[in-house]
Order: sequence, then C-alpha cells, then structure tokens
Amino acid sequence: MNVSLSQRIFFFVLSCCLLFILLLASVTWSSYAVETAFKRDNYAKQLTNQTYRLKQLVANDNIYDANYNLEHWHALEVTLTNLLQSSPKLTAQQQTIQMSLQSQNENLKSLFTLINKNKLKNASEVIKVHLKTRLMTQLEAIQSDSLQLSAIAQKDIYDTIQRQAFLIISVSVASIIGLLFGAFSLTYIVRKSLNEVKRAFEKNQSGDFQNIQFSHHSQEFDSIAQAFNTMNKKLSDTTVSLTVMKEVVEDRTKVLEQLSNTDALTKVANRRALFERANMEFSRARRAGTELTLLLLDCDFFKKVNDDFGHLFGDQLLVHICNICSQEIRDVDFLARYGGEEFIIVLPHCDIAGGIETASRIQSSLAKNSLTINNQEIAITLSIGACTLSDRHKHLEQLINDTDQAMYQAKKNGRNRIEVLRSTNLH
Amino acid sequence: MVISIIKILTVSIISLLIIICVALFYSYAESNWWQPKYSVTIAVSKTPLSTPFYVAKAIGAFDKTCVNVKFDNVVGGQKAFTKVMTGDVDFGTSSDSVIAFQSLANKGFVTHAMFVQSNNDVKFLSRSSEKVDSVFDLKGKKIGVIQGTASEYFVSILLALEGLTTEDVTLRYYKPEALINGFINNEVDAFVPWEPFAFNSTKQLRDKVKVHNTKNLNSLSFNLISLTADNLLVEKAKCIIQGLSIATDYIAGNQEESKQIVMRELNLSAAFIEWVWPDYIFKLALNQSLIFSVQSQAIWAVATQMSEFEKVSDVERFIDSRAMLQVIPNAVNVSQ
Repeated sequence: MNVSLSQRIFFFVLSCCLLFILLLASVTWSSYAVETAFKRDNYAKQLTNQTYRLKQLVANDNIYDANYNLEHWHALEVTLTNLLQSSPKLTAQQQTIQMSLQSQNENLKSLFTLINKNKLKNASEVIKVHLKTRLMTQLEAIQSDSLQLSAIAQKDIYDTIQRQAFLIISVSVASIIGLLFGAFSLTYIVRKSLNEVKRAFEKNQSGDFQNIQFSHHSQEFDSIAQAFNTMNKKLSDTTVSLTVMKEVVEDRTKVLEQLSNTDALTKVANRRALFERANMEFSRARRAGTELTLLLLDCDFFKKVNDDFGHLFGDQLLVHICNICSQEIRDVDFLARYGGEEFIIVLPHCDIAGGIETASRIQSSLAKNSLTINNQEIAITLSIGACTLSDRHKHLEQLINDTDQAMYQAKKNGRNRIEVLRSTNLH
Repeated sequence: MVISIIKILTVSIISLLIIICVALFYSYAESNWWQPKYSVTIAVSKTPLSTPFYVAKAIGAFDKTCVNVKFDNVVGGQKAFTKVMTGDVDFGTSSDSVIAFQSLANKGFVTHAMFVQSNNDVKFLSRSSEKVDSVFDLKGKKIGVIQGTASEYFVSILLALEGLTTEDVTLRYYKPEALINGFINNEVDAFVPWEPFAFNSTKQLRDKVKVHNTKNLNSLSFNLISLTADNLLVEKAKCIIQGLSIATDYIAGNQEESKQIVMRELNLSAAFIEWVWPDYIFKLALNQSLIFSVQSQAIWAVATQMSEFEKVSDVERFIDSRAMLQVIPNAVNVSQ
C-alpha cells in the first residue's frame, strides 16, 4: 500500500489520540467505579454505626424491664431498616451480603418482638439471658456483614486504583514506544529515501542513467522519483545522441586524417605523411643512436611509358610498384610517394646493407612481376638510391637530399641499379 | 545509526514479550501443574444447605484448587461430625447447634468456615387434630426431635419462651429420616424436622399436619469442620474454601442453574427448592456472631440440662481462621 508521509503522521497522531481517549475513558470509568465503591463503603459504615448504637442500647438497658421505653429502640431499628432499603447498587457478592443483612435484620425484629410481646413474664431468667445473647448475636452478625461489605468496597477501591495505575502506566509505555517507533520509522524512511535520491543524482552525474527505486514507498518521494525518472529519460535520450555524434565525428576525422596522409592514387602515404613519419624516425634514431636508412626509388623511363601506353597505364604502373614495395618491406618500414614516379622507403633499425638487400628484393620482385598491356609484357625497372643516417645529417632534409643524390647516381650510371652515397662522396 | 536503534528496539520489545510470556507460562504452570493434589473426603449432609459443595463439584470449582474432593453423603450434620471425629472423613458439614453441643464434650475439632445460613430451616410441625395454637398447648405433649442438634435446641427455646421446660413435655429422639414415622405411628404429637424432611412431611401428611410459622426465630448456619488442624489440614481446608468461594460466587450470579444442580444431586422437586431457597443465604464467613451463637447455645444446653456436660468450654478454640484468612480475609471477623 502506498501511504504518504503526511498520512503516516496523521495515522500516528490519530493513534495517539485514540490512546488518549482510551486513557480518558478509563479514568472516567475508574472515577465512577471508585465513587460507587465509596458510596458502598459509606453505606456499610453507616450500617456498622447504626448496629453499634443498637448493641450499646441492648448492652446498657434492661430490655425486660416493664418500664423499658421502646421508642429509642424502634427509632434506631427503623433507621437501620430504612438504611438497608436504601442501599446503593451492589455487586453480586455484595448483594448476597445485603440479603444476609436483611435476613439478620428480620431475625432481629422478630426476636425483639417476641421478647417484648409480654416481656417473657412466664420465662425463666436463663432464657431471658439467652435471648438477650441471641439479640446481641444477631446484631453482631449484622455488624460483621457490614464490616465485610465495607472491606469489599475498600478492596474494590484499592483494586480499581491499582488497575487504573496499571492501565495508565501501560498506555503511557505503549504511547512512548509508539512515539519512538513512529519517530524512528519516519526518520528512517526520510533518510533512506533522501540517500537513495542522492545516490541516483551521483549515478546520473557519472552517466549511469538509472531510475530511482525507493525501498520504502511514500507518495511524496514517489512523486520526486517520477519527476526525476522523467528527467532522467530525457537526459538519457539526449546524451546517447551526443555520443553517437562524437563517434561519427571521430570516424570522419579518422577518415580525413587518413585522406590527408594518403596518396589518392597509390593509397600509400603521401609526401606530408612521409615527412611526419620520417621526421619522427629521424629524431628517434638520432636520440637512440640507432640505424636509419632511406631508399629513394624512381621508375625508369616512366615518361616514355606514359607516352607509349597512356597515363592510365602509368597510374596502374605506379600502383603496381607500390604493391611490390609493400610486399617486400617489413611492418616497421614506411613506404610513401615522394612525388611523380618517386617513392621513399624509411627503414628504421636498418643499416646500409639491410637497405641494399631490401632494394634488391624489390627490384627482383618487380622483375618477376611485370605488367601486361595489349598482350605485351612491359618490363619496369627502378633506380634506387640508398643512404644511411650519419653524424653529418642534422636534418631529415639532408638525409633525403643524400638519398636523392644516390638515386641520381643510379640514373646516371645506367638505371635499374642501386647506388649508395658513400662517405667519400660526402662533403 | 537509525537502523541499529530500530533493531535494538525491536530485539528489546521481542525479548520483553518473550520474558512476559515465559513468566506467565511459568506462573500458570506452577499454579496448575506443579501444585500438589490432595485427596480429601468430605462428609456432606444431604440437605440443600450443602448447595455450595454440590455446585462446586458440578462446575469443577475444586479442579482449580489443591484438592481432589470425594463426597460421603450423610443424613444430618451430627452424622457428618461423627465421621470427622472417627477419622472416616477429612472434613464434614455441621450446623452451629451440633458444634455447640459437641464443644461441650471438649472434642478435638475446629470450624474453618461458615458457608450458609438460614432462618427457617428447622420447622415445628404438630398434628392438626391436637390444635396446637400456642406454646402453652404443648404442655404434656410428646415431641419428636433429633438429639443434640438444632432440632432439640429449637424446641427447648420455644418452650422456654412461655416458661416451659423439656420436663413439661415428653421428648422422643429420632434419626432425622425416622421422625415422620414416629408421627405416623402416633408416637409423637409434634415433631421438629429440618429440610427436606419438613417439606416431605407436609407433602405426605397434607392436612394431618400443621406447620407453625417460626421463621426468624431460629437462625441456623452450616459450617466446614475437621479435626484440630495441623498445617497440612489447614492447606487442604484452604483449597476447599477456594472451591466453595468460586461456588458461592456462581450461586449469587446463577440462581436457577444452582437450583437445578441441587435438584439433580439430591433428587429434589422444583416445588421443594422454591419452598426453601428464599430462606438460604450462601456466603462464606467466619465471624464473631458464629462464636456468640455457638457459645449461647452451649450455655443454653448446659443450663437446660440437654447435655450431660456441665461446663462450657472456651468456644474460640473451636474456630480456626487460618484457612479463611488466606482465601477471603475480609470475611473473617474473629479475634485472632
């Protein structure tokens, strides 16, 4: 059941009110019960006093005397009888005593009437004494019953007060426990719900858009959860679009970057990418003191091929050379189009011998894999210049320049060959 | 923090409840299971005056006490007294008259409680043809009584009121159930039975017998007696009184049901119960008036030479209030 906090407080206050009403009712009832018991006690005490007066009368006066004045006796007896007839409402147990009292009073009246009928003129002194004792016994019986009635009333008063005290203590303890329980449970629910809201905000901040699930439901917090969850859903939808957008931009950037670094025809790195990578390798080799060799490849008679077989074939040829080169170099090596029909291969951790070997492999592979056009096999050769990084190379451009010179030397020396720029050729 | 406080509160409340339950169970078990049960036999006089005993048995009032009660039904309180004195039974029910007569013999018995009183149980019946209109008319007549009981005491009082003594009449002693036969056989002109014999006699003899109005002239009580009690006997008496207390409360609130119980138990007619019931007051007490009553009857018995004994004992020593003080202290009004 979904109960609001205000409803909880309302029920809580209502329960306290009910307990208070219960307490009030019990106090009212108890005061009534005590009042009734006091009336009974008062009644019993009046009976006791009245009986005592009669006892005094019998004990002190000679009831057998011919001149004995009956008026005093009758006055007291009538009062006693009237008193017995005006009893307050009694309990069943007290009613039995009341009946006993009435019966004893009748006995008393009968006995006194018998005694005063003719003053027992024919009776002996023994019977007179005996009947007087019987009279006293009857009065004693009435007094005993009155005392018992009074004792019961007093016990009722004591029991009622004790019961009331117990009830007040019980209700008070129950109220305190109820108050504590109510206060703690309310505090617990509010704190737990607030913590759950706080955690949801924290998760939200870290991009984990989860709905709030309260462990304790209340209308107030559930409405907060509903508003938060609606907001969360909208945020979640918007944030997903941004991510996709970011991915798209990243992909595009990647493609653009690739395009800017790639030669459109041969799909190998272009001049820009070449300088970026070669500079990096150049710096690394100089810093680490490792070997770095550059190969500069130039297609022999490329202009003639273009003229004879057309530019499309020329383009095809350049792609073919790139494919051959890519197959023959290592993963760490870097092939780039330097310009026109010229290509540069950067060979990190490679000395001049390694460079010559790689160049030779490329030439061999190219010789084996010639291109065909109009059923005519076209033999393609490369003039390759090789140069290894040395102390005199302060810039990449100097190294490229030396490699370029080696390649011109290869051209000059008859093409389809590999030339290395020896140190003797240096400055 | 809050959770731990709630847990502590919950554990405390549950522990408190468990402790209360265990305490209640223990007190219940102690009072109901581990209480020793004593078997006692009570000689109960077969009269509606013994109603509290029959009701207590019928409603199971003794089940909740420390005694298993067995009744030995006898005719008359004197017979019950004899059984107590011979040790045949543990307790008996006797009238204050019997107690008064027996106190003179200085026997070792005590009275624990009075449980009923009546001012019209003993009745005076005379033959209609004898035309007994006053006490004087009894002079020279033969009167049937039960010796040493309220019956004999009552007739002596009646005679004394007009200066007559038992010497002026001829007293003939009968057992309670044999009184009517004495009357039928013309052995007596009048007789003094108690209930239910008085009622049965009027039913059987119809207009041959005259019932004299003697209501309120003789107050009679029935009491629980035993041999002079040691602590164990007092404990048993306490339990019997507890059962009787439940029974008297039941009678006060359930008059009709109580009448039915007595009718079944004593095989009595509804007419008889209606006849005697208004005269009975069932309540437990032990007060000074009982002592006065017993004492005055004992003095009377000695003075009128109804008894062979000549000295009246201290009646208070035949009263033992220990059991009653434990059950209904406010119904005890005797000097301790």
